[in-house]
Amino acid sequence: MSDPALRLEALEVRHGAVHALRGLSLEVDRGEIVGLIGPNGAGKSSTLHAVMGLMRPSAGDVRLGGESIVGRDPEAIARRGIALVPEGRRIFAELSVEENLRLGLAGRRGRGDHDADLQRVFALFPIVEEFRKRPAGSLSGGQQQQLAIGRALVAAPDVLLLDEPSLGLAPRVVDLVFSALQEISAAGIAVLLVEQRAQRTVALASRTYVLSNGSLRLTLGPEAAGDTEKLVAAYFA
Amino acid sequence: MSSTLVATVLGADWQTLADAMGQGGLYALMAVGIGLVFGVLRLVNFAYGQLIMAGAYALAVASERGWPVWEGILLCFGVVLVLTLAMDRVVFRPLRAHSPAVMLVATFAVAFLLQSIALLWFGSLGKIAASLATLNQPVTISGVDIRKISIVTTAVAIGCLLVLVAVLGRTSVGLHMRAAALDFRTARLLGVRANRVIGAAVLISGLLAATVAVMMTVETPLVTPDFALRDTILVLAGVVLGGMNRLVPATLGGFAIGFASGFLGGALPTDKSQYLPSFLFAAVILVLLIRPGGLFTRAGGQAVERL
Amino acid sequence: MTHLRVTRIVELLAPALLVGAVALVGTIVSTSTQTYVITTLVNIVIVVALYVFIGNSGVLSFGHVSFVAVGAWTGGILSIPLAEKPAIMPSLFGFLRDTTVGNASSLALAAAVGATFALVVGLPLMRLSGLAAGIATFGVLEITHNVLRYWEKIGPGVTTFSAVPETTGLLQAMVGALIAVVVAYLYQRSRYGRMLRATREDAAAARAVGVSVYGQRLVAFMLSGGLAGLAGALYVHLLPVNTESVYLDLTFITLAMLVIGGATSLWGAVVGAVAVSAVDSFLAEAENGVHVFGRLLDLPAGTRVVVVGAFMALVLIVRPSGITGGREFSLPVTSARALLTKSRP
Repeated sequence: MSDPALRLEALEVRHGAVHALRGLSLEVDRGEIVGLIGPNGAGKSSTLHAVMGLMRPSAGDVRLGGESIVGRDPEAIARRGIALVPEGRRIFAELSVEENLRLGLAGRRGRGDHDADLQRVFALFPIVEEFRKRPAGSLSGGQQQQLAIGRALVAAPDVLLLDEPSLGLAPRVVDLVFSALQEISAAGIAVLLVEQRAQRTVALASRTYVLSNGSLRLTLGPEAAGDTEKLVAAYFA
Repeated sequence: MSSTLVATVLGADWQTLADAMGQGGLYALMAVGIGLVFGVLRLVNFAYGQLIMAGAYALAVASERGWPVWEGILLCFGVVLVLTLAMDRVVFRPLRAHSPAVMLVATFAVAFLLQSIALLWFGSLGKIAASLATLNQPVTISGVDIRKISIVTTAVAIGCLLVLVAVLGRTSVGLHMRAAALDFRTARLLGVRANRVIGAAVLISGLLAATVAVMMTVETPLVTPDFALRDTILVLAGVVLGGMNRLVPATLGGFAIGFASGFLGGALPTDKSQYLPSFLFAAVILVLLIRPGGLFTRAGGQAVERL
Repeated sequence: MTHLRVTRIVELLAPALLVGAVALVGTIVSTSTQTYVITTLVNIVIVVALYVFIGNSGVLSFGHVSFVAVGAWTGGILSIPLAEKPAIMPSLFGFLRDTTVGNASSLALAAAVGATFALVVGLPLMRLSGLAAGIATFGVLEITHNVLRYWEKIGPGVTTFSAVPETTGLLQAMVGALIAVVVAYLYQRSRYGRMLRATREDAAAARAVGVSVYGQRLVAFMLSGGLAGLAGALYVHLLPVNTESVYLDLTFITLAMLVIGGATSLWGAVVGAVAVSAVDSFLAEAENGVHVFGRLLDLPAGTRVVVVGAFMALVLIVRPSGITGGREFSLPVTSARALLTKSRP
């Protein structure tokens, strides 16, 4: 049995005396979408930051394709085939859309032809191609989110992490983004989706973990998407 | 007084204008050198002038030993690059995590340290770097005599700036540097290598310092331990005046103060030009009060974060 | 006596006693070495002045030596005997040429002029922070240097001061240093000092509770300008002063003293001044040839600046909070007592 694309083992993260994450373990396989939901302050962003090396975990391990990546610099981790779409998009407003995409190339592993990956992004998000020469700051929130995902995809990652991509987006755009995520995972990429919108995430993902106060409370399958009571209970457990 | 000032300004000759352009160009290059490092490290290198001083001393030593001009220039570049890289390793990198205040004072200390080492090593009398002295000869253009060096400096400055625009705008490294200056954390998350970007910025800033050293020694062949100190102070003022946070405004600020300094220095009669530094700095302070973010940035810009 | 009160007294006593100790050392050394001791005491005044502003506000000022310069000019010109003035400084303003005051008055006036100049400079500048403040205060230094150098109506211009009565002996310097320490202590214990320190930690939060960042900074700036002016007058009564001796070199060395000692405490300021002055004096002697453990140490001229500079850079890189860690002096007993009586969370 081969290693999962991404595995977190008993991950612990501290902010000074506060425990942001207490012993979190989860797995994401190729072609899966795994959701991570929970109330504010649950530790969702801390999870992603710890994986990407922005924070040093105080205990536990993070394995990318079986190899441990804990303790490495963020840029080294990014170059190992894992890409983050950060909270708030964090695109470079003063650079053009095209330059933002080119920046994503920094995370590529091989020197191979990146044209094919670029075309795939344009196929997924036509607006990105249409506006390629414009300054990225002139795009709307939804368009910037598409750019941010496209920028991550251009690096041809094995694992894609997303930190609250639906934040501040109109429902129609959320539809677009979520269906794009389905296409992305269908292409073989492992997707870990951190979100606030519980219902949509649970419906989309093959399984969704509920994080509260730094630890896993519950695991939900897509069938629970319609069960509001269960969701609410999970949040306030 | 103001009418004599206007008359002086209008009556200034082509030599003064050419000189001012040259000085503006030199200061613009220095501004880029300082601005690039600031962009990626958020560090103001007070000791930038000392890099130029080191290059000038290299030229002086080569000139004293009768070396051919090109070898002297090569030595200059070599010395400056080694010193820049050493500065990066020993001073910049460890200080990265500290506040801008600490970094400012630290580079101030390094500036003094290098100056005093030069004093110790070479003495206070100074050395002569005479290699390119022929450039001080005038060339006649439509009946007007202008020193070659003024033209050469302006041309070299324009050339360097064009090359820089190309590097920053078209290469991956340039793109990475620009991104790092805007948002280093996100750039790293995308895979941009922090060390490479910093190294590139430091390297380019060193190359610029060496270039400036070569140009400066033509006009000022006497190299002393405080060589380029005044210029650095003025360029820093110009950069803050133009707008520290972005490279283009910073460069414009450097050019502006260089041009103003060169022009007024040449155009004003001696008794008034004595107070030139005061006027320049008073202008700088005035601008800082009205537009703390810089003259050439968008209105309402924030001055660089407080200590 | 409560632990808190002991701490407070110690906070003043420690630097004051150190000043006294330095003065005491001055009484037992040779006359030539005594000059170094006196200079050290004057340096303490400057560094304490720097601390009053920089340490409490967190804003960098490269321009304080201009207040020292102004103080030196005031103290010097006003105390040169009337008979000598026309010869040395023929272009002097009438009022300056015809007035001469006594020693104490020259010192007091220098402090007053220093404070006033600081007020004038501070009114526009205290709005700035960070890099802009650094550059602007540097500009003040440059302008002051430039003006004092060429304006012969208010001073000797390029030439060095002469005929100033040399009244700064061990006693005068010690008193000056003690005054500085006491003033700084009273300020930092006062409401004003505490409010300013609040802005240093978190300007936004301080503003939110009604502290005027601008106002408090101006108060500290003025106070430190006065102390610096006093230092300048002490200085001019000690050594021949010219525009270069109150310019970049002095700026550098006094900043070095503050940083090395610890910029955020009075104790740090005094310790830094004493430590660096001691090393500097020793090296100055070594440059003239000095006997160490029976062997002759003869350093080339200029070594001392290199060493101090290297030391300053090293401290900044390795321990930016300085020798004292930026904290006031505290007795081991009071620390232990504090630990024992600390309430549990």
